Amino acid sequence: MNASKPLWEFVDISNAYPGVLANDSVCIKLLARSIHGLLGENGCGKSTMIKTLSGVKQPDGGQILKDGQPVQIPSPQAARAMGIATVFQEFSIVPTLSVGENIFLGNMPRSSLGVVDWKRVHSDAAAVLAEMEVDISTEAITGQLSVGEQQLVEIAKAVAMRASMIVLDEPTAALGEDEIERLHQLLRTMRSKGTGILYVSHRLDEVERIVDEVTILRNGRVVRASGETKINVREIVTAMVGEDIGEHYPKERNAADEVVLEAQGIATSAGVNDVSFELRRGEVLGLGGVLGSGRTEIARALFGTDGLTAGRVVLNGRPAAFRGEMDAIRAGLALVPENRKFDGLFFNFRASGNITAASLGKLTRFGLLDLKREEQATQGLIDDLDISAQAEEKTVNFLSGGNQQKTVIARWLFSSAEILILDEPTQGIDIGAKIAVYNLINELTRDGKSIILISSDHDELLAMSDRIAVVQQGTIRRIADAAELNHDDLVRASAETGRNREQGEVLA
Amino acid sequence: MKRIFDAQLIGPFAALVIVSLVVALTTERFLNPGNLSNLSLQVSIVALIAIGSTIVIFAAGIDLSSGSMVALLTMIFALMLKFVGVPLVLAVPLILVAGAFLGLLLGLITAYGRIPSFITTLAALIAFRGLALTFNNGSPIFSLDPALEPLFYGKFVGIPLPFFYLVFFYGLAAFTMNFTKLGREIYAVGGNPAAAVLTGINVRKVQAITFVIAGFMTAVGAVLMSARLNSGSPNYGQTLELQAIAAAVVGGASLAGGRGNILATLMGAMTIVIVQNGLNLNAAPSSVQNIVLGLIILLAVGIDMWRTEISALVARVSGRKPEAEAAAGKKAG
Ligand SMILES: Nc1ncnc2c1ncn2[C@@H]1O[C@H](COP(=O)(O)OP(=O)(O)OP(=O)(O)O)[C@@H](O)[C@H]1O
Ligand SMILES: [Mg+2]
Repeated sequence: MNASKPLWEFVDISNAYPGVLANDSVCIKLLARSIHGLLGENGCGKSTMIKTLSGVKQPDGGQILKDGQPVQIPSPQAARAMGIATVFQEFSIVPTLSVGENIFLGNMPRSSLGVVDWKRVHSDAAAVLAEMEVDISTEAITGQLSVGEQQLVEIAKAVAMRASMIVLDEPTAALGEDEIERLHQLLRTMRSKGTGILYVSHRLDEVERIVDEVTILRNGRVVRASGETKINVREIVTAMVGEDIGEHYPKERNAADEVVLEAQGIATSAGVNDVSFELRRGEVLGLGGVLGSGRTEIARALFGTDGLTAGRVVLNGRPAAFRGEMDAIRAGLALVPENRKFDGLFFNFRASGNITAASLGKLTRFGLLDLKREEQATQGLIDDLDISAQAEEKTVNFLSGGNQQKTVIARWLFSSAEILILDEPTQGIDIGAKIAVYNLINELTRDGKSIILISSDHDELLAMSDRIAVVQQGTIRRIADAAELNHDDLVRASAETGRNREQGEVLA
Repeated sequence: MKRIFDAQLIGPFAALVIVSLVVALTTERFLNPGNLSNLSLQVSIVALIAIGSTIVIFAAGIDLSSGSMVALLTMIFALMLKFVGVPLVLAVPLILVAGAFLGLLLGLITAYGRIPSFITTLAALIAFRGLALTFNNGSPIFSLDPALEPLFYGKFVGIPLPFFYLVFFYGLAAFTMNFTKLGREIYAVGGNPAAAVLTGINVRKVQAITFVIAGFMTAVGAVLMSARLNSGSPNYGQTLELQAIAAAVVGGASLAGGRGNILATLMGAMTIVIVQNGLNLNAAPSSVQNIVLGLIILLAVGIDMWRTEISALVARVSGRKPEAEAAAGKKAG
């Protein structure tokens, strides 16, 4: 099927950062009409490779061939002009601009007078979104959309460039099952029209579904490059990690009968509507549902970020009135936010400062920080979570995306919170780190802490929760034991919401 | 110790050394003991006020009010000493409290009134000087107290007292920023306020506290200014706020907040004062001094912003790839 000549060839590409060789003689051939997976653990050099082929970073060594001819990609503009469109791991949208403006940022359609043709900006943008089967208004302010929707806008930007090569760095990390399926459909369509696609993801199930060939990196080197043989997840994992890992989901059941948190008919102006549930000591309560179904909003309501307009939260048998996050944290709640870049990390701190930020009180005596204890405690967590050794040498903006996510989670492991709300905790982290997070969830529940787990990865949600609440349009439609639910139940719930949404559109 | 004397000091220190060398080589009288001791006196007021300005900048704010606040506080100080008859030992702490109080006011308006600090302190810059002019019909007040001047000109074991003030306050500030919860929270608020909220840090309170510190340090500067000139005047401290901010910036503090080392501000202040001193000794007019000060600020920020480009250029010129080699060496080892 892919007997064609390679569109792009990257030969012996090396990239160094101070102290790390992020890419070490990496060779990748990219074909037209093919989806190429670039895989590997956090920090193995995937994003660095992508920066090279999208003109953001000049390689320190190696050669780039386009249609067999040596070329250079001196800038992102040059990459675009040569037909490479990239969706970066870190968002590059402008939050204050509309969706339409973002999609055409940098190449706005102009009228004959040379001014921006706003009608066409919005109609063309709407056409791209329709092609992707995405239901977002082009007039909406991008920063006000959910993280998943922002990710879709980011992808739309690349689609709108009509490039011959599309590069996607973890495009599905923030997407729900439903959106992932639609994105895959779109990629398949683009592939059949001749586009080449380079795809990075830590969700190996989807890799298996969509990818034609893979290149696997470890410590900056290619350890495996499959031609057109069929790929299987187990082999990939073994190649990535360098050893065979056994159980994917090491679930422990630690739920007691005692209720620690109870939501009684809570509602907020952000769309949470009559939500009631109980959370028991040592329990993992999963919140399932699609993007925009209101899971994050429920988390915000519990955490005091959005004020309650009805109902109440009962904590350890006593009503709790949180006027803000500070009250919630003092009462023993913790929230690991979904958007780590904006709400989670202190980019001016190294890992230790990030990990201890929520528990400075614990390290303080008479206003003085115990820096020795801080160092020891964070070193322990860095080892446990297998966070990059660089984490303590530099500020966290130099860490790979996955290591950043682990750092944010480590913060709440260090705190003395009793109830943790984890919003997409394994988004963008590699399989080894995911298992580390699952083990930590077990450790926490064994200690009698309770967890509310929000995840768009249905397999993970089903495996790691004790009970699951299916959320739809800001309310809980059903709560059941995880054992009684299966993948289809969650997907069906999602599909129904999708239909409801469409009906809503028609009525409006 | 490792934490206080970190890599962020290298650049500002190098700048200070280079500037000192250049001035020493081009100016005869620069190394005279008299001039050096005069220099330390000159730098002290700006450098003390710059502690507050820098801490406000660490929390991603800006304080434009300090120059005018100095004028206002010297006037209140002079009135207390000369017309109300408050004894000096009482007047000094009262002024320090007054400075902290004015800082608190600005901090509350900024943090809880959600008005950007640029605006709050710009308003204060204008209003405080106006307020200073309402006292004593807008005229300076002279000859305050014979015991006042020694506060500035006095010596201990042959070293001017302002040297000890600098050591004390910079020591305290460096300690606070590096070893206390408050210091960590200030950096956190400046680094990412949204994340700080979600980690339970009282962002508004921390912001307000930085202005209290700034007000207090401004008051210290005001007392020394009065002592130096044995007077109070509504015209004192003009552009002092800009010099203090320049010291922070030349010292490498990021105006976006969250990054910088307080000791580097002292080096920044010294760099600026030495340049001014060099120009003075060479009889350059004050217009030239201002132009040079402007260029120094641009250069300091530019070097910071273009750091990666500069190191790439150095690598290319020297025909090597130090980064790649270092990495390869590390891998092998
Ligand atoms: N700007 C930078 N400065 C210094 N080191 C960097 C920089 N960017 C990345 N690195 C380092 O280079 C290595 C590769 O990082 P890269 O971002 O390519 O990893 P990745 O494979 O994309 O990981 P992830 O799956 O977590 O996104 C890591 O060790 C990282 O710490
Ligand atoms: Mg990456």
